[in-house]
Amino acid sequence: MSVAERVHLFPVRHHSPRASLVLGAMLDRISPEVVLVEGPSDADPLLPMLVHADTAPPIALLAYRTDGVPASSVWPFAAYSPEYVAVRWALAHGRRARFIDVSAAQSLAHDRGRRADDDDGGAGRGGVGSDDEPRGPRGSVWDPVVERSGFRSFDELWEARFEAPEHAEADFREMLRELALSVRGATLLREDGETRARDAIMRAAIERAVEQGAAPEQIVAVLGAAHVAAIVSGDVDPSASELLERTVPTAMTIIPYSFPRLAEQTGYGAGNRAPYYYQRAYDARGDYGRATLEVLVDFTDHLRLRGFSVSLADTLEAYRLACRLAEVRDKSGPGLDEVREASIATLCRGESAHVDGFLWSSVIGRSVGRVAKGLGRGSLQEEFWTTVRAFKLPETDEAIAVSLKLADKTQLSASTFLHRLRVLEIPYATLAGVRTTPGAGAWRGGAGAGGGGRDVERGGFEQLARVREGWQCQWTPATEMALVERIVLGESLRAAAERSLEQRLRERRSVGDAADVLVDAVMTNATGTVALALAACDALAAHDDDLVSLARACRALAGLVSYGSARKELGMDERVLVPLLAKTFARATLRLPVAASVGDADEAKAVGGAMRVLAELATTQAAVVDRDELVEELGDVGRSFGVHPRCAGTAAGLLLLSRWWDDAVLARELSLRLSATSEPGKTAEFLSGFLEVNALAIVKSHDVVAIVDAYLQSLSDEAFRDAVPMLRRALADLGKTERRYLVESVIAVRGHARRGDAREAARLVTAADAAALEAASEDIQKAMDDLDDLL
Amino acid sequence: MAETRVPAERRYQAEIEALRNGDGGERPPGWALTPRAVVAYVLGTDVPVGGVTITPKYVGDRALVEVAVATLASDRALLLAGEPGTAKSWLSEHLSAAISGTSALVVQGTAGTSEEHVKYGWNYALLLAEGPSPRALVASPILRAMRDGKVARFEEITRTSQEVQDALISILSEKQIAIPELGEVVSAQGGFNVLATANTRDRGVNEMSAALKRRFNFVVVPVVTDLEQEIRIVKKREEELRGDYQVGAPAPDEVARLLVTMFQELRAGVTKDGKTKVKAPGAVLSTAEAISVLFQSGILSRSFGSGTVGPSELARALVGAVAKEGDSDLKAVREYVETVAKGRDGIWKAFGSAARAALKAP
Ligand SMILES: Nc1ncnc2c1ncn2[C@@H]1O[C@H](COP(=O)(O)OP(=O)(O)OP(=O)(O)O)[C@@H](O)[C@H]1O
Ligand SMILES: [Mg+2]
Repeated sequence: MSVAERVHLFPVRHHSPRASLVLGAMLDRISPEVVLVEGPSDADPLLPMLVHADTAPPIALLAYRTDGVPASSVWPFAAYSPEYVAVRWALAHGRRARFIDVSAAQSLAHDRGRRADDDDGGAGRGGVGSDDEPRGPRGSVWDPVVERSGFRSFDELWEARFEAPEHAEADFREMLRELALSVRGATLLREDGETRARDAIMRAAIERAVEQGAAPEQIVAVLGAAHVAAIVSGDVDPSASELLERTVPTAMTIIPYSFPRLAEQTGYGAGNRAPYYYQRAYDARGDYGRATLEVLVDFTDHLRLRGFSVSLADTLEAYRLACRLAEVRDKSGPGLDEVREASIATLCRGESAHVDGFLWSSVIGRSVGRVAKGLGRGSLQEEFWTTVRAFKLPETDEAIAVSLKLADKTQLSASTFLHRLRVLEIPYATLAGVRTTPGAGAWRGGAGAGGGGRDVERGGFEQLARVREGWQCQWTPATEMALVERIVLGESLRAAAERSLEQRLRERRSVGDAADVLVDAVMTNATGTVALALAACDALAAHDDDLVSLARACRALAGLVSYGSARKELGMDERVLVPLLAKTFARATLRLPVAASVGDADEAKAVGGAMRVLAELATTQAAVVDRDELVEELGDVGRSFGVHPRCAGTAAGLLLLSRWWDDAVLARELSLRLSATSEPGKTAEFLSGFLEVNALAIVKSHDVVAIVDAYLQSLSDEAFRDAVPMLRRALADLGKTERRYLVESVIAVRGHARRGDAREAARLVTAADAAALEAASEDIQKAMDDLDDLL
Repeated sequence: MAETRVPAERRYQAEIEALRNGDGGERPPGWALTPRAVVAYVLGTDVPVGGVTITPKYVGDRALVEVAVATLASDRALLLAGEPGTAKSWLSEHLSAAISGTSALVVQGTAGTSEEHVKYGWNYALLLAEGPSPRALVASPILRAMRDGKVARFEEITRTSQEVQDALISILSEKQIAIPELGEVVSAQGGFNVLATANTRDRGVNEMSAALKRRFNFVVVPVVTDLEQEIRIVKKREEELRGDYQVGAPAPDEVARLLVTMFQELRAGVTKDGKTKVKAPGAVLSTAEAISVLFQSGILSRSFGSGTVGPSELARALVGAVAKEGDSDLKAVREYVETVAKGRDGIWKAFGSAARAALKAP
């Protein structure tokens, strides 16, 4: 028997309350001198903090690289994680506790970990030993075990066989070891070098503890069951640890964690479907019946709050059903699956939607942990928490809407804080709804004014016009991890945000990029960066060739000119902004014809968006920008057959809408363009661009519709058939209202001014086109279906 | 023709007996089988029990059946709710057969169901001749179930009047029925419970009083959405029907697959690849309807066709079934044939032209 086998090896499943309870009893019984625990060995100095009286799980160890490579890893713990219980016991009893797994410095060197802001909430390398569960293309090694057991999932099997029943210590250890051994063959087949290396590292650490003088009987080692299986089967290759020899510079800290994130860990290794339910079970010393009843009472309260008529009699009935279900399933008592099914049948009258919709979060829990003060918490973390509390922003791991009135000084500061987090890409708050001052953006065209969505995402022009901001706030461990990581950018959020903006400014390629930074600098109150960004805009404006970028910059600058006042403490100087806007606008106008000559439809669409922005600014910033020059250039584009027809269409639409062209000019230009029937594809593109500007105004204009209708009637059957797909696309973006007006206009134009009778309209339209449609290609058929739909 | 409506308890007598002998576990009072054996009876088992193969009756979620069985063993009544043709009545019959040894204690819920149907009535001739006497009493299925400790079935409970539902509330809460004319109170024996079904298309479940709802646990029987599973169900049930009635002909796999695919696509309003929208018919194209269409195709092929079931038999059976639902549903099928079936290869093409022909025929 090897030395390592002579110590008390305790196999665990991470986050298992039953394992913790059994382990606790065993520690009390053996009262060991040394407790060795699976966990990163370089976290040993943090152990006292980890189990400090003021620390409240869920919490996690966070390791991150300090050499500039963005990589980090977390090891989360619930109060009932066996590793946590083991460390707490040891320190409470004045015994030695030590983490014996591969160090974070090694594991972060081996795989670069994950970015803390990954959307999995930064579960890092799967947390505590989740690679105990190798997954191959054919699923988990546990699948056959689950199948044989007749349970639906490993989680259910685990709960029914291990978690819920009371076990004697020896039986429990034996069962778990058996379970691990039973899949060992399959595990090895998957040849996971890292697991083998960790087997070796942990065994060596156990042996070292013995060499250092502790009697094996005085040592308890708490390891994932798979590692225990490797050690007791003597199947550990000491040289395997070489794989993980390399280290990188790292630092470690403890961060709050949360139940919802704990629930995201799945699989055998660390699976935890319902952290709060298991917390209840642990608090009830493993009485799952009690935990079940508590949850059902909780569900009842929630349902009542929402106005459902459920009584305590229903609760008891649900409890009885849960117990009886457990019996039918040959379980010792009810568990999570019974909770779910019994509440659906009894409390929710068959509606699973309620359980999934809002009840389930109360078995998952919302708690966020707390870390005792005094652990050199990063200054960004400190600032974050102080600010969140000062402004009474949400502190929990659930999405909560926050609305800020920017006229209020305090709320404006809160907004600045949230924008700093946004700029730093620290996941906590996302911008929601837009409410702008009346007039701002009212000039938006039909289908999506260019780049609007992007503005909302990133701040930008829309942002400046706001009097009120809506945010969705949710703290997650990823927030904390990002706060830790971003410290390299600066000691305060303000400094870090400025630094990050300046980095962006250095990487900017166009005046649009620079203007984006400028707006973000204003939003984050980054005075120094504002000046730099202005200078960058100024330098780039004269040379930028990209119309889209120029228009974006114009929009941002115009926003600052008009609305910068909401954040006027920055003292933005109009004397700088106004000439800059004029200059950028002039440059954009100049680039118009070239930009409109693109070949690609998507680019043409983007150029169209830019033209719309410029036209808008020509009206709203009439005092600053050169309108006549723009009208001239737009006129050239609108008339040109050399530019992309879509751009020409957009230009024509803008000219019409702004009354820069009157109906007569338009009629002339339109018929000229439409009479070039040789290429119906181009004509359709033209129409697309044209309609995009303000579809409603255009389809309501009888003159315009008459010209288009006459054109369509003039096409030969064949040409019409060719044009149909394009026409469909051109009309595809029209909404219901626009379509209705279009049909009405067509009818009016054809001299049947009977409004409101859609069927009649359909008859007229279809009858008139019947000849062309007789040739019924599939496309025409579909077009007719569309017509059907719209009527 | 053989006797075709053999109740489940007779038809599967051997299975029920084998399960009874095979499970020594504790049975709830009045139950013929243990709850676990009831589940096994309904879902079938992988290995024979006492040499008898336990065939699956209901094909679907095990948890659903377990909740149903656990409820029937409790104080609460069970309501199986769901779309038409999802096997609610089928489950009800098999559950009562396995639990009580009889599925015959049934109240059929309609607007005309009266309190007599849930409590008791009188044989008026005897009543006039002898006065109120046990002989003159006509016990409802529920009263009989109470006396004998059995499961009473209540079909389409939501179609009954408010008075009947109110009467049921008192029966379910007191578990007894008073017969003042005889100075007698019948109390429920162990094993009594009520197993109701309700069709969610009736919209009646929402209108049930809160008091009545509270007497039930609800189990929603879902529409099958998994293609392979529904094909399995349809083929299996069609084959059983064919065996029962000794008519019809087996259909090749691809015919069943086409039929079920079409039903699922029409139900969903969109093709499986998510690319083509189809008009969903107003009537429910349920699993039960698919079974019946496939069965009808078999009969058509025997009586008029080649003896094997092909696209044309299927098309005619389908059109026949849908026609009874009215013109708008025929239109939905026509559209489906034109937009979807026509564009597909193999048997779909043949089906497309056969369906078009069948749809043209008066
Ligand atoms: N999942 C299934 N497993 C086995 N058979 C099924 C399944 N779904 C439907 N069937 C079959 O379809 C038919 C369904 O009929 P049943 O009368 O039970 O439906 P129902 O839900 O009661 O419908 P309704 O609401 O119209 O009364 C039965 O023959 C049944 O065998
Ligand atoms: Mg029915």
